[in-house]
Amino acid sequence: MIEKQERLTAKKFWQEFAKGIVITNPVFVLVLGLCPTLAVSNSLNNALGMSAGVIFVLLGSNIIISLLRKITPNLVRIPVFIVVIATFVTILSLVFEAYLPPLYESLGIYLPLIVVNCIILGRAEVFASKNSVVLSIADAFGVGFGFTIALIIISFFRELLGTGGLEVFGKQLFSIPVLAESPMSVFIMPPGAFIVMGLLLALFRMIGVLKNE
Amino acid sequence: MISEKKTGFGNKILSNKIYPIIILSIIVFVAVLLLMLVNSFTQEKIIAEREAKVTNILQKIYPDMQDFELKDDIYIILKDGDVIGYSFIAIGKGYGGEINTIVGLDKDYIVKEISVLSNTETPGLGTKILEAFFTDQFKGLETQDVKLSKDGGKIDAISGATISSRAVTDSVRAAIEQKVEIIKSKNY
Repeated sequence: MIEKQERLTAKKFWQEFAKGIVITNPVFVLVLGLCPTLAVSNSLNNALGMSAGVIFVLLGSNIIISLLRKITPNLVRIPVFIVVIATFVTILSLVFEAYLPPLYESLGIYLPLIVVNCIILGRAEVFASKNSVVLSIADAFGVGFGFTIALIIISFFRELLGTGGLEVFGKQLFSIPVLAESPMSVFIMPPGAFIVMGLLLALFRMIGVLKNE
Repeated sequence: MISEKKTGFGNKILSNKIYPIIILSIIVFVAVLLLMLVNSFTQEKIIAEREAKVTNILQKIYPDMQDFELKDDIYIILKDGDVIGYSFIAIGKGYGGEINTIVGLDKDYIVKEISVLSNTETPGLGTKILEAFFTDQFKGLETQDVKLSKDGGKIDAISGATISSRAVTDSVRAAIEQKVEIIKSKNY
């Protein structure tokens, strides 16, 4: 009996995890959290740093909000969510500033803005405040990785076209000879974010439509 | 009996009103405690990190620096007890936000070197203000020449990043004018 229940949870755990990555991908399907997505996807490095931050905050806030779900009065649930999320974001930014100063500087204002990232508040309201801790963890990882994958895809194209090469953690992975000398800088600027994002959204939509047919 | 009912009803309203306040207060209290704890762990490291960054840059600008003193936000660079230069941070408003630049002057107030400490400019365009081809132009200039060439000075702006170039140049000149006055008036 207990074993069966555990297996059921494990199965649900993976379901919730996979759901966040593909079916309800926060960026490409739900189109949530676009402000950080568009702003920090100008380099692979920033995208990875931002994703790590979002996964940490999402995991922390989902766990705490799920634990508090039975004692949180409906009336003050949003303030409670925001306090919990803001606490995790502040911890994160202090830790980044102390131990990863270059990343802290390049993320700039977008690190504290994780507080108002609607993906995190959205998961708190829609999922963590209504589900068990284990499932909330699965949801946080699923949505977090979904966000990470989206950011990696966008920043891959933007950095490649915009600088002519790719760089991760200060190491140059490769650079394309002609493109690196005169890169299409528009791609690392705000208009490039919209162009790449728009094309990718169209692509994902097309895949979805073809699949349904 | 009626009064009992009333009290019960009243209590319910009271508890309904007060309960959320209590819960929220407890959560905020715990959050603040937690942040105090994390802050006390990281504060020392953060300050050390910032100081190390400035010291490193000063060491690079003044290779013979032995010591420095900080007075009125001015780093007075010392060698064998003699002043060999003055350094300070210029703050400019760039395209993407604040640009902080360390300015190094020699003891005759000629620019020795500048180095951008922090910026939030557009990567690949505005961030070229970090590169030597731009910052080297400041070497050996007197205050009145620290202007973009289109404004009558001796600094060539980076093409495509005029706002960032101008922010650095103008903030450096303004800072030199302001700080040299302080240095002269207080005789550092």
